[in-house]
Amino acid sequence: MKTLLRQIQDKGFTTASAGAVLLIAAALLVVLIPMFGRGITAVIFTETVEFRRLQKDLHGRGDNEHLARALADAAAVREPIYTMLREFSEGIDTEPLVKQARDVYQKYGEYLNYHNTPKEQYSDYRKQAKDVRDGLVDALESDDRQTVLDDLDAVLKEKDNPAFADSPAMEFFAMAQRYKKIAETVDLSHRAEYLTNLQEVTAAIRQLLGPLPGEPTPPLWMDQYGATRLDMALKARAALLYDEQWISDGPGKPMVKHIIARKEQFAGTPLEPLFDRVEADWDKLLQPRLRIYWQYFFDDWVNSHYFGGVGPEILGTLLLTLMSMCVAIPLGVISAAYLVEYAGDTVWIKIIRMCINTLAGVPSIVYGLFGLAFFVVTIGAIGKPCILAASLTLSILVLPVIIRASEEAIRAVPQTYREASLALGAGKFRTLVLVTLPAAGPGILTGIILSLSRAAGETAPILFTGVVAMGPIPNFGSPSQWLENPGSLFGWLFQPTRALSYGSYDIAVGDRISMLAPHQQFGMAMTLILLTVALNVAAILIRSRLSRKLRGC
Amino acid sequence: METPETVPLKKTDAGHAARPQQFAQAAVTESSEAVISARQFSFFYGAKCGVDQVSMAIRSGSVTAIIGPSGCGKSTFLRSINRMNDLIPGSRAQGVLAVNGHNVYDKRTNLVNLRQQVGMVFQKPNPFAKSIYDNICYGPRLQGIRSRGRLSEIVEKCLRDAALWDEVKDDLHKSALALSGGQQQRLCIARTLATRPNVVLMDEPCSALDPIATARIEDLIAQLKGAYTIVIVTHNMQQAARVSDETAFFCLGKLIEYDRTEKLFTNPSKKETEDYITGRFG
Ligand SMILES: Nc1ncnc2c1ncn2[C@@H]1O[C@H](COP(=O)(O)OP(=O)(O)OP(=O)(O)O)[C@@H](O)[C@H]1O
Ligand SMILES: [Mg+2]
Repeated sequence: MKTLLRQIQDKGFTTASAGAVLLIAAALLVVLIPMFGRGITAVIFTETVEFRRLQKDLHGRGDNEHLARALADAAAVREPIYTMLREFSEGIDTEPLVKQARDVYQKYGEYLNYHNTPKEQYSDYRKQAKDVRDGLVDALESDDRQTVLDDLDAVLKEKDNPAFADSPAMEFFAMAQRYKKIAETVDLSHRAEYLTNLQEVTAAIRQLLGPLPGEPTPPLWMDQYGATRLDMALKARAALLYDEQWISDGPGKPMVKHIIARKEQFAGTPLEPLFDRVEADWDKLLQPRLRIYWQYFFDDWVNSHYFGGVGPEILGTLLLTLMSMCVAIPLGVISAAYLVEYAGDTVWIKIIRMCINTLAGVPSIVYGLFGLAFFVVTIGAIGKPCILAASLTLSILVLPVIIRASEEAIRAVPQTYREASLALGAGKFRTLVLVTLPAAGPGILTGIILSLSRAAGETAPILFTGVVAMGPIPNFGSPSQWLENPGSLFGWLFQPTRALSYGSYDIAVGDRISMLAPHQQFGMAMTLILLTVALNVAAILIRSRLSRKLRGC
Repeated sequence: METPETVPLKKTDAGHAARPQQFAQAAVTESSEAVISARQFSFFYGAKCGVDQVSMAIRSGSVTAIIGPSGCGKSTFLRSINRMNDLIPGSRAQGVLAVNGHNVYDKRTNLVNLRQQVGMVFQKPNPFAKSIYDNICYGPRLQGIRSRGRLSEIVEKCLRDAALWDEVKDDLHKSALALSGGQQQRLCIARTLATRPNVVLMDEPCSALDPIATARIEDLIAQLKGAYTIVIVTHNMQQAARVSDETAFFCLGKLIEYDRTEKLFTNPSKKETEDYITGRFG
């Protein structure tokens, strides 16, 4: 009976503990898998021809000939789309045409002057041209089809007027002809509506294919290219093909989302076929294909992470982490060894131990403020936020962790090891260095692993002490500079840097990048996790080698 | 109180024959001289008395066994000789315990020198997590011996002395932890010999070993006798009778009887000793 109870107890405990472990693992996966799933799209994604163009322009990557061919293919199917858009917008957005008509009138005046027309003839011709111009402008500005057509007919009647023969004024009639064709097809009474929709369509096409031909090159890289990734392209395509409107069915009724196909909005207009063409020529327009953008881990960003990678952030995080470890490990291990091997059990030592334990629980922002006050402001030699100040702050943050882990590890070394060494005539220090510390190595490394992850991921301590969202990449100088001035070897210590942790934060709270390019945000978070994992794996490998050696295998 | 000087010597030529040349200086010429002598020596753990007013003298080149019931202070006495008990907080010694005529509890005692003279083998084999070679070189390296040839020589000599050479000569650079318990214990003995001590203290060196390994270590002790002064703590009375020249019987921190082994086991002069060796103790 008793054994049965014991067995049940045993089984129950095993199941419960296994369940707990599984639960933790599942929770981790629930968090990490979506994170990775979205982060990896910063590296592996479907690129478009625009991305290839960008890579060529920015970094000179890719084959010139291939790219030229792809761009030519794309241009062939883009051209009709641009033409349709231009022709339709001429009918709807007549302001440019009005301006053009005025320009033509002015040119005609200059033409007359140039040909030394006699004075009376000059004013007569000018008057006639003015009438034609006003007729055309009236037509352009009218919303009523009949008025427009009448006005245009009146203008076109003047076509054979000898006053205009072979002069710039002939442009009036070409314009009238073109606009007549539009006026016959487009319902001009809805012009205002068409105009807003047309602006949306144009914006979507800009998103998709980049600036329209003839437009000036925008100053930002991000506006100079169409959709560089398929996911962005699909978003732009949705905006192009469908209009999303919030319409209330009546006063007091809630707004309801209506999705209206643009094709219907523009039914019967010359723009109608555009939407079918975009769908039909989709593959040629953007030429999507899979890309493994491994350079993500090396490239600098462009336009605040809209394009590019996280190279400088990785470098900065590595520098900060490794530098802080360089300071924290020796200090921590020496302190731990002192506390275990040399310090007695006095009140002072107890107070120091308590302080260390308390420090381990202090919020990291407090370290950040301390770092700002002490390393940046008080220590004149540093004087400004930089890698040195940030890594010193980080090292203070992880020091308690390292001290405590090392203390435990050193304490756990069997006394017989020390006795063996002492009995062979080694002093206390030699015993510590030659026997105790190597035997405590795996335990110390565990503490280091814990603090590595913490140092790499912390944001608050470096926030004020040396990290920037945008700024130069740490400059290590060159061998010739080092030879000239050996101090420049350490110049990078006194420069600020970027870091993955702060970068993630900055994207999240910064501006619209996290919305425009969510892959960049997740990509950076993923990179931070990957980097931490890589550092940990390295430390774990060292630890397992060490403990294998200690076990004698 | 016994006067060991009066105890007749039982010299074994075998011991001298096995004495390694390079450690010849370790052997004290006047073998009748006491290497270790305690006078009214007491040792306290805080208020608790571990060794109580012990006086005895141990001859150079002899093997002395210390027997007694558990907790009677055997280890405490042994560890006092090379001051291994210093590590214990609150411990304190009284009286005189001299090695080669110097009181080891004198303030001026150089612990490093003392421990180089007085080596120790522990109850549990405790090789370092290093190769066999490095284990043995640990002591010599501390003494400043750097030359590879010299170190290799020492390694071979010590391993031969510890009767381990033939078993490990091919894998000197393998981890010492890969050896069996008995081999590890012999390695620890070899490691101790490598510092060229005068005295080797052994605290129950065979308690973790099987009879075959025990026999090998007993052989080893017999071979080392003469070249080294050996003090061995053991619970195995047959072992004490087999390996030792003299035997000391401790009880409750006091030295009850100290005599030639033959005499102590066949004709003990004290009642407690007789009770203990005949198994009527307690
Ligand atoms: N570190 C210590 N702190 C306090 N008391 C101790 C310590 N070590 C030993 N003692 C005490 O000293 C006395 C002698 O101990 P010791 O280890 O010398 O006995 P022993 O004869 O070696 O016993 P055993 O045969 O079991 O090894 C014991 O009563 C023990 O309680
Ligand atoms: Mg003992």
